[in-house]
Amino acid sequence: MTAQQLHAAGPAGAGAGAGDAPARLIRARDVLASEWTKLRSLRSNRLTVAIAAVVTLGLTAVVAATFVAAPGARHHGAAGAPAPPVDRLATSFLAFAEYTVLPVTVLSVLVFTSEYSSGLIRTTFAAVPGRRAVLAAKAAVTGAAALVIGEVLAFACFFLAQAIFTGKHGGLSLTSPGALRAVLAAGFTLAACALVGVGVGAVIRHTAGAIAAAIALVALLAAVCLALPAPWNVRLGRLTLPFAAYQEVTAHPSAGLFSPDRSWLILVAWPAAVLLIAAIVLTRRDV
Amino acid sequence: MKPGLGLAIAVLAVAVVFVVGCLADLSRARVRNIPKWGWAVLICVTIPWGGLAYLIFGRDWTRPAGPAPPPPSLPDVPGVPDVPGMPVARPHVPRRAPGAPVVIEVDRLTKRFGPVTAVDDLSFAVRPGTVTGFLGPNGAGKTTTLRVILGLNAPTSGTALVGGRRYQDFIRPLRQVGSLLDATALPGGRAAWFHLLAIAQSNGIGRRRVSEVLELTGLETVATRRTGEFSLGMKQRLGIAAALLADPPVLLLDEPVNGLDPEGIHWIRQLLRAMAAQGRTILVSSHLMSEMAQTADHLIIIGRGRLLADTSTAQFIAGARHDVLVRSPRAGELASLLAASGAKVRREDDGALAVNGMDQATVGDLAVSRGIAVHELMARHASLEEAYLAITGTSTDYRAGGALSPAAPAGTAVR
Repeated sequence: MTAQQLHAAGPAGAGAGAGDAPARLIRARDVLASEWTKLRSLRSNRLTVAIAAVVTLGLTAVVAATFVAAPGARHHGAAGAPAPPVDRLATSFLAFAEYTVLPVTVLSVLVFTSEYSSGLIRTTFAAVPGRRAVLAAKAAVTGAAALVIGEVLAFACFFLAQAIFTGKHGGLSLTSPGALRAVLAAGFTLAACALVGVGVGAVIRHTAGAIAAAIALVALLAAVCLALPAPWNVRLGRLTLPFAAYQEVTAHPSAGLFSPDRSWLILVAWPAAVLLIAAIVLTRRDV
Repeated sequence: MKPGLGLAIAVLAVAVVFVVGCLADLSRARVRNIPKWGWAVLICVTIPWGGLAYLIFGRDWTRPAGPAPPPPSLPDVPGVPDVPGMPVARPHVPRRAPGAPVVIEVDRLTKRFGPVTAVDDLSFAVRPGTVTGFLGPNGAGKTTTLRVILGLNAPTSGTALVGGRRYQDFIRPLRQVGSLLDATALPGGRAAWFHLLAIAQSNGIGRRRVSEVLELTGLETVATRRTGEFSLGMKQRLGIAAALLADPPVLLLDEPVNGLDPEGIHWIRQLLRAMAAQGRTILVSSHLMSEMAQTADHLIIIGRGRLLADTSTAQFIAGARHDVLVRSPRAGELASLLAASGAKVRREDDGALAVNGMDQATVGDLAVSRGIAVHELMARHASLEEAYLAITGTSTDYRAGGALSPAAPAGTAVR
């Protein structure tokens, strides 16, 4: 498609500013602006993120305070075994892993499924027939928003938890070994989960099913792997998102799982795979 | 007070109570273990977050940032019509004359969904400068055809072109084709203004035009309200506003008058006529025959996915069945007399005779020539409704059982 074609197609010209930019770029800019408007104009999105942020920070403080109050010898009823030495790094992100990752994943699923359930998806695809461009724009906008939210929250969680730890165990600083990587990875994990959510929503289309599938991918799959017999729990478990993320944020990476450096690949591979499937099915199906 | 402020305060209060409550619950001893400045950090982190949340999320994003001044809020009176102060037949002022006339061409289009053939070898063309009505019973394939034209459904075979090109090949298709498929397909949580803005941005259309179409459709006073609160009539207007965003030379509207009040129907009829007069190509599907009779110049009628008629509205009505009704005390005698003279006579349920192939005057003269009294003599013309029922009678998918048999002539169906 050429710019010439575009001019032929767009006699309205108003606000086009198309110039000689290739059609693909014009479409990319248009769709990104449109999807950003959609994302920011939903009050429920802002509300959910705000509540998730407040709850995450609150629980991070609670978790940190609990660890401070409970010395290493304390027995946890559920675990039954003596508690291991406190992982001051991973503990900072315990609340983040649930109360930020899960709500944001659900919101990301809704990016597509809400349009499918209301029928708005037809308006969207009639306005932008390039369905992969829509997928890319939705993924880019949602992923970017999740990345910003994730990094900000991850830093906040880290500093908050370390400040509370300082009293008893001595807090870490960003320059401590692995600390900066852990904080950056925690924020990135949120973006990865958001992208998985967008892709799953595009593939499954129905809200309830897509949310269940997305939660399974970003959380439950790891729990299932834990229940497997001995060699397989680690062999399969290390491929899941939660374990890959854990390797990044812990001060003591497990030997059986992938190294932190390799775990980045897992964090990238899941959203890439899901979005690839979404790109394939999206252009093959009627809407 | 900004709507977000109360929200932010509430969220903050809940969070503080929650955090403090959890901490206190751990036991006094443990709470005391938290260093004093740990509390300070907790408070310092939580409160700025509340403030930040208010700044980011509490800001009244729902107010359009465009040049349009914030519209006054509506008085919340029950029983107020859809759009107070709704303009009736506001003249459409075109921003420009549309370019070269654009034709919609559907050529041997077939669309199957598994074993079901929704559209079956359908061919027609929609020409500029007229309002073309797209008619058919439920399940006839109207919506499927429109979806194929819009590139939403892939045809099993055949083509559907707009201006000689596939819809998917347009970079900014809204500038070529404005469409309304389902007025209720709206993002319930998004303000109308933002819904239109997102559509406009996807085709490089400016904010000013969003305000313009809202004004054009009489929705400017409800622009900041969420679409979930809209009535069906307001949703239809919003859908039409979206279709008009880029001032396109082609309009495809699926059931646009559904849910509109009489003023709204009048308004859209005027709008469509004005747009057609400017040389635009307009295809409107509807199941309301009487509405189409007044709006459409041309009719494309389909049933079970096949083309039943492609004709001007006037021709369609003229070509429809018409007969002569005659009532006489000596009906049997009159019937054989008329039949002998070459007319087709059918006895209706109430004893009257329906005469085909003979005009009123001839029937009367024949009766007088034999001295047969005539109590009623009337020429009957099928309305568009009747003509439509006659043509689609055998191709209706869903029908109330027994109400209309396929063989029932149009005239009797409405008696």
